[in-house]
Amino acid sequence: MNALNEYNRIFRETFGVSEDALNEDFTFNGVAVWDSVAHMSLISSLEDAFDVMFDVDDILHYGSYFHGIEILKHYGVEF
Amino acid sequence: MFLNVDKHDQNKTAIKDDSGFNLTYADVCRTIDEFKALNIPRSVVFCLCENSAGSLIGYLAFENNKQVPLLLSAGLDEGLRHNLEFMYTPSYYWIPERKEQEIKGEKLYSAYGFVLLKTEYDPYPINPKLSMLLTTSGSTGSPKLVRHKYGNLEANAENVAKVFSWTENEIGICDLPMNYTMGLNVINSHLYAGASVLMVKANLMDPDFWEFIKINEGSSFCGVPFSYEIMRRIGFDKMDLPKLHTLAEGGGKLTDKMFKWIASYAKNSGKRFCATFGTSETSARMAFLDPSLAMEKIGSIGKAIPNGELFLLDEVAGEDGSTTGELGYRGPNVTMGYALCRDDLLKDDEFCGEYHTGDIAKRDADGYYYIIGRKGRFLKLFGLRVSLDETERILKTQYPSSDFVCTGDDRHMNVFCTNEAIKDEIVPFISAKTNIHNSAFHVLWVDRIPRNEYGKVRFAELEDYLIDKKH
Repeated sequence: MNALNEYNRIFRETFGVSEDALNEDFTFNGVAVWDSVAHMSLISSLEDAFDVMFDVDDILHYGSYFHGIEILKHYGVEF
Repeated sequence: MFLNVDKHDQNKTAIKDDSGFNLTYADVCRTIDEFKALNIPRSVVFCLCENSAGSLIGYLAFENNKQVPLLLSAGLDEGLRHNLEFMYTPSYYWIPERKEQEIKGEKLYSAYGFVLLKTEYDPYPINPKLSMLLTTSGSTGSPKLVRHKYGNLEANAENVAKVFSWTENEIGICDLPMNYTMGLNVINSHLYAGASVLMVKANLMDPDFWEFIKINEGSSFCGVPFSYEIMRRIGFDKMDLPKLHTLAEGGGKLTDKMFKWIASYAKNSGKRFCATFGTSETSARMAFLDPSLAMEKIGSIGKAIPNGELFLLDEVAGEDGSTTGELGYRGPNVTMGYALCRDDLLKDDEFCGEYHTGDIAKRDADGYYYIIGRKGRFLKLFGLRVSLDETERILKTQYPSSDFVCTGDDRHMNVFCTNEAIKDEIVPFISAKTNIHNSAFHVLWVDRIPRNEYGKVRFAELEDYLIDKKH
């Protein structure tokens, strides 16, 4: 499994966007569709796909597309 | 004045929001008077709501000054808003400043980030009892509205404040949208008691939300089942929120597991958990479970609120002393009925103080009520009521050559569709249209929709199809 492909697929499906939209502007505060429902769905899709269990702090501060990659690396996912 | 806002301590904070506004009761009364000085005729006003002081003050002023607001979400899809505007021709709009470009009109007044626009439509006759309008299914922009009469909101505010024992020291957290009946009741019941209301735009997944309610010492919270799912996931039970004393739930049925989780958390941390039940048709709440019984009556909505009465229709007695039937309610908060078009705003009271909910309920031998099912064709997705008929109508308008049927439960909506070519477009389309996250929708392609000779859908056959799919 290519982690970045999988990561991008989850973002595309969760937010209904194309791959071009996934850049440094793709943040919790900057994207209107990133609400609490989307956030819950994102977190559980990522946990399922990468077989990880996020700490509360990481869930609450999962604030952007790029920052999320850094968080996953802490859980041993290799990008 | 509305909710006695002029009788409360005028120096006390009435409304505080997370956009930086802080209004005392004196500010609220002064702003209501400024609205009054505009001499707006009695007419329908579309309020595009968000959880902020500006949004709230407009509603309070219109109620006080006898205009008739229709509360809609500021996030409502443009096409659906146009549809409602065409049907109900509002003479005024109360909207966030950022929406000024989208909606044409003459600017008459502004306060706390909101503006009042006069549209091109003239006022038209409306029933003198009519006080406010809410949609029955907010996210689909359903043209079916609930007609509130004068006294509904006040009675529910008073009786809910009484059953929760709100005092002026309470600091209520309004996280549910104010255009949602339960959110509006959180506001009304606290203001009625002379307490303060925190209007929060940040959502529960945002660390700013928890920071804001902690700093501002929020003391009572009300959530829908999905709110509690989030809170459980983000470790709410480990958070340090010493001032938060009351956790209320409404707007959908919690699983028994979740009910127990909240009830035992409340018990162990010296807080109280209050399960409630309400509908738009009853200006929010009808039932309340005494928090001291939360661990004993798992899953119950309790008994009727003060001055209200719950009863069952078409009762069937069970062996354990319980009774089952459709839940009905009588009380001063029962609204007048529905409106399906502009002319209906002239209609008189059709409910006459009695409402049949369409929910199937059980009453146990001690007289406590439990919701166990539903008669009507609607779901509650993330706490939002979504009409299945309305969703089908939206889909058929967009794809006239295809046939659709929607079913589901409170977790997912199944969209049965006869056109394989559009299968992949449906979820993005309906999710954008309703503003409900795409994870709630499942699309299933079928050759044809099974119908009987009268054209009625054979739902049992669709259910069988779903079961086949899963195996």
